[in-house]
Amino acid sequence: MSLYILSKERLPQFVKALQGKFRVVGPVETETGYAFDDITDPAQLQMDYTTTILPPKKYFLPQREVLFSYHNEKENGGPQRLEMRPVYQDVQPTVIFGVHTCDMSGIMLYDKVFSEGFRDEHYMERREQIYIIGIECLHPCDEASFCKDMGTLTAPPIYDLHMTDAGDHYFVDTGTEKGERLLLDNAYVKMAEKEDIQRLGQVLSSKWPRFRMRLKMSRDQTPSLLTLGYQAKLWQQLGERCLACASCTNVCPTCFCFDVRDENDITMQGGERVRVWDSCQLYEFALVAGEHNFRESKASRVRHRLMRKGKYIKQVHGLSGCTGCGRCERACLVNITIPGTLNALHEEMQLEPGI
Amino acid sequence: MATKPKIAFFDFTSCEGCQLTVIDLLQTHLGLLDLVEIVQFREAMSERGEDYQIAFIEGSCTRKSDEARLRRIREQAAVVVALGACAHLGGVNALKNYWPIENVQTYVYGKNGKDAYESYPARPISAVIKVDAVIPGCPIDRYEFLRIVQLLLQGRRLRLPDYPLCVECKLKENACLNTLGKPCLGPITRAGCDAICPTYGDGCEGCRGWAPEANFAYMREILRGHGLSDADIDARFTMFNHFQFQHMGEPAPVTTSLGPDKTAPLPTSAFAAPKED
Ligand code: SF4
Ligand code: SF4
Ligand code: SF4
Ligand code: SF4
Ligand code: SF4
Repeated sequence: MSLYILSKERLPQFVKALQGKFRVVGPVETETGYAFDDITDPAQLQMDYTTTILPPKKYFLPQREVLFSYHNEKENGGPQRLEMRPVYQDVQPTVIFGVHTCDMSGIMLYDKVFSEGFRDEHYMERREQIYIIGIECLHPCDEASFCKDMGTLTAPPIYDLHMTDAGDHYFVDTGTEKGERLLLDNAYVKMAEKEDIQRLGQVLSSKWPRFRMRLKMSRDQTPSLLTLGYQAKLWQQLGERCLACASCTNVCPTCFCFDVRDENDITMQGGERVRVWDSCQLYEFALVAGEHNFRESKASRVRHRLMRKGKYIKQVHGLSGCTGCGRCERACLVNITIPGTLNALHEEMQLEPGI
Repeated sequence: MATKPKIAFFDFTSCEGCQLTVIDLLQTHLGLLDLVEIVQFREAMSERGEDYQIAFIEGSCTRKSDEARLRRIREQAAVVVALGACAHLGGVNALKNYWPIENVQTYVYGKNGKDAYESYPARPISAVIKVDAVIPGCPIDRYEFLRIVQLLLQGRRLRLPDYPLCVECKLKENACLNTLGKPCLGPITRAGCDAICPTYGDGCEGCRGWAPEANFAYMREILRGHGLSDADIDARFTMFNHFQFQHMGEPAPVTTSLGPDKTAPLPTSAFAAPKED
């Protein structure tokens, strides 16, 4: 759409102007790194940050979300009946600052998963009120990332605004009309001119050599690699190491599985139905009636996660199931990683280097 | 209103902190008393009703005379619930099982301790009587207590989280202590306390017992990465779970002997009885 220039000094004013009207969240510094959190003071916002433990998915699918409340109603002497009221949690105009391009890819997948086929009203109600303001990565966040392999180093078309750091100012690209309105109504910006656009081109093209490739194959090859390697020995080795702790899936921007539970209140006459994040790495995930578990071994669960990330999600939703954000690698205490696993599989299958 | 189920609380060898947690819960959730009637609770009331359906037992069995009392409770109660780590696992009390019992008695109670105070190796109450439900933790999590009571009243299947603590820890977006150089047993410990210790910066010590798929071998690798010796790691593994390891049979995933060791020095403690000559 259009490109604007926002001077860095004016960013706090932009945030302040939004605060009256929106819940404003973005990366803030923590004791050990960064996390997405509510911005109460514009000075907290850290647009130049490495990565976060949880991706911004927590604003799209909260860790614990009430779906409806229920209550036993008894009309004077009449029969008891269960009253149910839908609940739409965390639905409010929200602006998320500082979303990296890999995480935008995760959100793009979420949007597909929760809107196509079965339309998830709870997700959609919230989603419609969220503005995404991206930030371009000019340096790798750390050693664990492999976004260049996964093709997520370029912003996918889901942002309302997308910012690129150019020293004393940001380039702000508008991705949607509502994003453009948000910018023009709340920030002092100027239209980019011809030479600005050239500078942006330089900034963007000079970043690529800083990012390395980690996969021994191209991402297009991973579905066939995983098909070939379904029976590989590797899965047993990984299964032995795995702690079944689900850290890898909880921190993953493309994991969306949830469990649904009823929580009664103290009177036991009512309560709430909630959904909470779940994980295919946990024993109970594939436990069904009759105590049968169709992914009993940890090896089969580790394999399933890799299959999801490198093959199934692509097949079902047409988008990559892994963004290369590296979060699972940072979180895994026994060093089970996506690039390490795919490369080892590639080796075990004795394939020619794919790239 | 239909008659409310009668419940009772009992204590064996413990600090009574779990019962205190229940009392504390009642301060904010008095509605619990609309669901059940408490007929016996030494820490909170003087009445002693012997007519109860659900018994909550805190503490481990650490002497012969405990057994008869446990059996009496079992006979009366339709449902027996082990309340907290001592009753559930044996807990820290079972640390004494490392030494011959006479040494422990003399060490704690002085020269005549053997004759003055009865004692034997500590065990969870399930080693003596059938237990229908457990509420793990040192101390218990008050909300889990409430949840279990509600499930019992509904006659629903009782279940504890069957996954490691890391799940709850990650959902709270805590930075992982094990990656910050602080040992944490979260990957092998059963979740359910909302990862309270890591949330406040302390490594988990496993008070809720092991997760069903606890991977001791790789947990040991992680702890070795902190520079801990195998003996240190064993000490951490057995802090709340000594009895569990003793009864795992071979090969228990510890490197040191778990049985009574006549030569092992007893620890120095500020609480031990003063030295007699
Ligand atoms: S699988 Fe790992 S690297 Fe890929 S998107 Fe998920 S957390 Fe990121
Ligand atoms: S993985 Fe790549 S795109 Fe994602 S935050 Fe790191 S550098 Fe940016
Ligand atoms: S984070 Fe690592 S150890 Fe934990 S479940 Fe995932 S692969 Fe297994
Ligand atoms: S701090 Fe402990 S409980 Fe939390 S993720 Fe790390 S190992 Fe697991
Ligand atoms: S974090 Fe570990 S030691 Fe602390 S209460 Fe929970 S289970 Fe017990």
